[in-house]
Amino acid sequence: MAYAYLFKYIIIGDTGVGKSCLLLQFTDKRFQPVHDLTIGVEFGARMITIDGKQIKLQIWDTAGQESFRSITRSYYRGAAGALLVYDITRRDTFNHLTTWLEDARQHSNSNMVIMLIGNKSDLESRREVKKEEGEAFAREHGLIFMETSAKTASNVEEAFINTAKEIYEKIQEGVFDINNEANGIKIGPQHAASNATLAGNQGGQQAGGGCC
Amino acid sequence: MFGRSRSWVGGGHGKAARSIHSLDHLKYMYHVLTKNTTVTDHNRNLLVETIRSITEILIWGDQNDSSVFDFFLEKNMFVFFLNILRQKSGRYVCVQLLQTLNILFENISHETSLYYLLSNNYVNSIIVHKFDFSDEEIMAYYISFLKTLSLKLNNHTVHFFYNEHTNDFALYTEAIKFFNHPESMVRIAVRTITLNVYKVDNQPMLHYIRDKTAVPYFSNLVWFIGSHVIELDNCVQTDEEHRNRGKLSDLVAEHLDHLHYLNDILIINCEFLNDVLTDHLLNRLFLPLYVYSLVNQDKGGERPKISLQVSLYLLSQVFLIIHYAPLVNSLAEVILNGDLSVFSSKVEQDIQRSSAKSSIRCFIKPTETLERSLEINKHKGKKRLQKRPNYKNVGEEEEEERGLENTQEDPDKAKGTEGSSKGIKASGENEEIEMVIMERCKMSELSISVVTEQNTTDEEKSAAASGSEMTNWSRPFLDMVYNAQDCAEDDYYALFVLCLLYAMSQNKGIDPVKLERIQLPAQHAEEKSSYNHVLAERLIRIMNYAAQPDGKVRLATLELGCLLLKQLVLSKSGSIIKDVHLACLEGAREESVHLLRRFYKGEEIFLDMFEDEYRSMTSKPMNVEYLMMDASILLPPTGTPLTGIDFVKRLPCGDVERTRRAIRVFFMLRSLSLHLRDEPETQLPLTREEDLIKTDDVLDLNNSDLIACTVITKDGGQVQRFLAVDIYQMSLVEPDVARLGWGVVKFAGLLQDMQVTGVEDDSRALNIIIHKPASSPHSKPFPILQATFIFSDHIRCIIAKQRLAKGRIQARRMKMQRIAALLDLPVQPSTEVMGFGHSSASAAQHLPFRFYDQSRRGSCDPAVQRSVFASVDKVPGFAVAQCINQPNPSPLSSPSPSSSGSGSTGHCDSVTASSTSTPSAAHSPSVDDSSAPEQPPIIFSSQMMLVDETSSAASKSGKNPEVETANLSPSLIPAQQPTISLLSDDNADALSVESLTLVPPIDPHSIHTFSCIPQSSLPSEVCGVTEGEGSDQSQQADYDEQ
Repeated sequence: MAYAYLFKYIIIGDTGVGKSCLLLQFTDKRFQPVHDLTIGVEFGARMITIDGKQIKLQIWDTAGQESFRSITRSYYRGAAGALLVYDITRRDTFNHLTTWLEDARQHSNSNMVIMLIGNKSDLESRREVKKEEGEAFAREHGLIFMETSAKTASNVEEAFINTAKEIYEKIQEGVFDINNEANGIKIGPQHAASNATLAGNQGGQQAGGGCC
Repeated sequence: MFGRSRSWVGGGHGKAARSIHSLDHLKYMYHVLTKNTTVTDHNRNLLVETIRSITEILIWGDQNDSSVFDFFLEKNMFVFFLNILRQKSGRYVCVQLLQTLNILFENISHETSLYYLLSNNYVNSIIVHKFDFSDEEIMAYYISFLKTLSLKLNNHTVHFFYNEHTNDFALYTEAIKFFNHPESMVRIAVRTITLNVYKVDNQPMLHYIRDKTAVPYFSNLVWFIGSHVIELDNCVQTDEEHRNRGKLSDLVAEHLDHLHYLNDILIINCEFLNDVLTDHLLNRLFLPLYVYSLVNQDKGGERPKISLQVSLYLLSQVFLIIHYAPLVNSLAEVILNGDLSVFSSKVEQDIQRSSAKSSIRCFIKPTETLERSLEINKHKGKKRLQKRPNYKNVGEEEEEERGLENTQEDPDKAKGTEGSSKGIKASGENEEIEMVIMERCKMSELSISVVTEQNTTDEEKSAAASGSEMTNWSRPFLDMVYNAQDCAEDDYYALFVLCLLYAMSQNKGIDPVKLERIQLPAQHAEEKSSYNHVLAERLIRIMNYAAQPDGKVRLATLELGCLLLKQLVLSKSGSIIKDVHLACLEGAREESVHLLRRFYKGEEIFLDMFEDEYRSMTSKPMNVEYLMMDASILLPPTGTPLTGIDFVKRLPCGDVERTRRAIRVFFMLRSLSLHLRDEPETQLPLTREEDLIKTDDVLDLNNSDLIACTVITKDGGQVQRFLAVDIYQMSLVEPDVARLGWGVVKFAGLLQDMQVTGVEDDSRALNIIIHKPASSPHSKPFPILQATFIFSDHIRCIIAKQRLAKGRIQARRMKMQRIAALLDLPVQPSTEVMGFGHSSASAAQHLPFRFYDQSRRGSCDPAVQRSVFASVDKVPGFAVAQCINQPNPSPLSSPSPSSSGSGSTGHCDSVTASSTSTPSAAHSPSVDDSSAPEQPPIIFSSQMMLVDETSSAASKSGKNPEVETANLSPSLIPAQQPTISLLSDDNADALSVESLTLVPPIDPHSIHTFSCIPQSSLPSEVCGVTEGEGSDQSQQADYDEQ
């Protein structure tokens, strides 16, 4: 499969904030969000283009593994980007951000790009956390911030892609050691051209789910 | 493209997309599947979309309409999935199917729906299907699928995966094959799956795990960890100029991941699983590799070894992370009490091992290569062992054959079947299994023998220890631990040793009795009367080295040393440290004061550094676990910050860092010394949060100097405020509607962090920025105030500017003087003073401190602060009036009785002052010498004196005993460094600021009466200490005799 880089992401945050829905929404546009269906997935991959380069995003949801410390810390370490998600209609999920962030900072490599996401922005009437609060938290902790809705797909693309852009910039700046796969970044197969015809074609279709 | 595929489906159905979620649509999908049982290039896209849509409908059905599931089961639609899968339909279809399954099992919320899906064993067939695992995406989806399934495991669902009769557990056995997959996310998923399996409390299943898989899996895992450790060690030994740090840090993190994983298994506390795991860890990794390397550094030999630092480092990690009693006790036993007989028994073990090796094929061979070959053999056994059930599990026999072919195609899998022909596979496998079991039995026998051996030696040892028969009995591991604490050259090893000791003492699994044998108390040890003198002395030696100007002790080592020493000598009833040790420690503390004095400068930056170091030290106390996660300490200590190594983990570079280091050493030893003498810290931090004026405080501003202004914030907001300048702070207040003359604080910021600039085209305006110092390394310092102040005319503007600018200088100078007091600078005014004019500054500065001494104690009473604030701008004569004010404190801000407030505020030990008065002539010139701009500190000091007296006269409170205790304090420090309180600072500064222009310099006599206190009080204390030391020495002599 032809890609210049592969970035591994993780999604973290309290249960029920819509992590896996965000993931599915981003990786597979074919699942259209409708009101009577909540659907998510724990793993997804998708190709995006940044600066004319094909970049593959691999996103691992860490849900359900909180009880094992070894798992959490390993996940953090293997990722180049993290989406830290809270639910704007549940104050407690916002309050737990500090803990999540501490964990992330502790276990991840220092270059990991963290994006703060206030999800469920479609539920304006039930909002408990102001957008400004999210912004302030992000500013204070040096994160990128965005409010999204997995339901209306608002800002979902942007959230994942902006994170990727940030990582990409860091690569350009030479901050990331791209030869070290432990950072959650992989360089694409150099001989990709030869077998790209078949695999690339099929992969393009699969990954194309989000591209159209 | 998918838009297109949707339209195919939707068009075929002839209905609008909104009815996609319905039973009817599922029926239509079923129809599509029946028409397309064979995958071709033409229908591939259609099939993929159909499978995807079915997922969606099923989830929708699970959430909305149960008839959907009934139909799905009735029509056996899973079979279609399997059928498609088996056609080798290519990556595209595979990925879609796996994604479908992921979504299906992740989103199903009803137990019954889940049971339906699992009931036909189709899922197991999919699990054992030989996907093309060389494709990273298929691999990722596959392992995620297994992980999703494992998250659904519980005592009920486990029966769908584990077949007791056929001994099949494909979910588990297939997953662990990838335990050493190169892709880290895959390895993590495998660990998650195994943990989710172990967590299920199903005895037959766990028995199966132990009997059929535990030995191969754990032995491989242990080997895998061990080989990473060898690689890690290589990385350390071959490092040049810290170039391997990146790789090293990955390897260290990997090791930590493993330890945490092992710990997670042990925590599940499945006893017989833990037995196998403990046995493997102890006898195949920790003892033969880690502990063995502690004492066998110089010897050659064939056994794999790691370097001492790596061994200590890894052992620390083990004790920090794993608390499983049987494991850590055995390990600690060998390290702490292992003697030569244990060592020789270890040799016996080796012999046993080698003999075992000859009898059991590829058991453990001391050399790496043989261990590796063992691993390969094990690998074979394991793989075959695991494969058998998988094939049995497959529904159709033909499929089994296909699976085999797939296996052969897969290069990774091929290894597993290598050397055994497919035809005779079954019988061969049985042999392998038996062999594995045999191995296991022998191993457990061996481990039992090892344990008993150790036990005997333990008893012998304790007998020896109590009966003191064997005086020359040696404990090589422990000796090594002690010896490595020597910091004369550097603290490379010392840091690890301290970590190891600390980790052991903190470990909840270790029997305290074990630690007591070396008198190393556990964290919350019971009452104790003695401690390990050897260790204490070595720790104090480290502190001594640290306080030397050219000491090579890193801050982390020192901090850890302090931690350990505290733990060693503090018992529930207080410190039990011997006087001689305390004296040595005081010596080290003295050294640290001397060290810091060399760096004490009048420069602004010194204060910022001093406060910043204090902040970062207290906000981030050492976390040993985090420290031991940092790979950079594995490389020899370095000085250059270019490595990116955290400051506390390396040596200082350049003057600034040497200053920072000296500051920290001073803080740590001061804190330790106070702690061990059970005295409270009364002078640090220089600014206490609780002493500051805060927003919404209500202040009595009668007679205060207030300047009206309009504050325009950056975002355009505009408010009317009064500007008031306090000693440390500037504040913006608005009138309190409830009481005339009182004001509510709307903003308060530290003067020292303030920048004031004029506005170019407006002579009535000032730009003011106040930054808040960064609290964590990740946050930037951000302005808490950034505004333009507009005053009514340019005169008031100039007054405000001057007041703020001078207030800033004053605030900083006050603090500098207090630092000087902490460093005992006035004690040797003629020699030790660095910088400029400090003799005068430090001399003068004693007054406020002496004054604070009492007031600080009362400063928790808000009334005190408020009333003091009320005295802003007063000339001395107003002080009485101020005291009168106090009985009427703001009800909002001063709930406590005002009388206590006034008592503490105004209180002054005039007796002390007068009795210790000395000629001030020597000091007065120094005032003039002071190169500090304008305003010698003496001025405000003297004013304070006046306030002081008046208020004390007014209150005549009964605080004298307190003062006396302060004066009588037996130790050096309290007397020399009087307590400081913002309260009186407030007073002093408020006055001084005004006095800049209004009040002429006042007779410095009154100041010096105060400045002399330490001098006069010192000698007696020195005597006392000297005596103490003398007695300590005699005690020491007694010890020596003993």
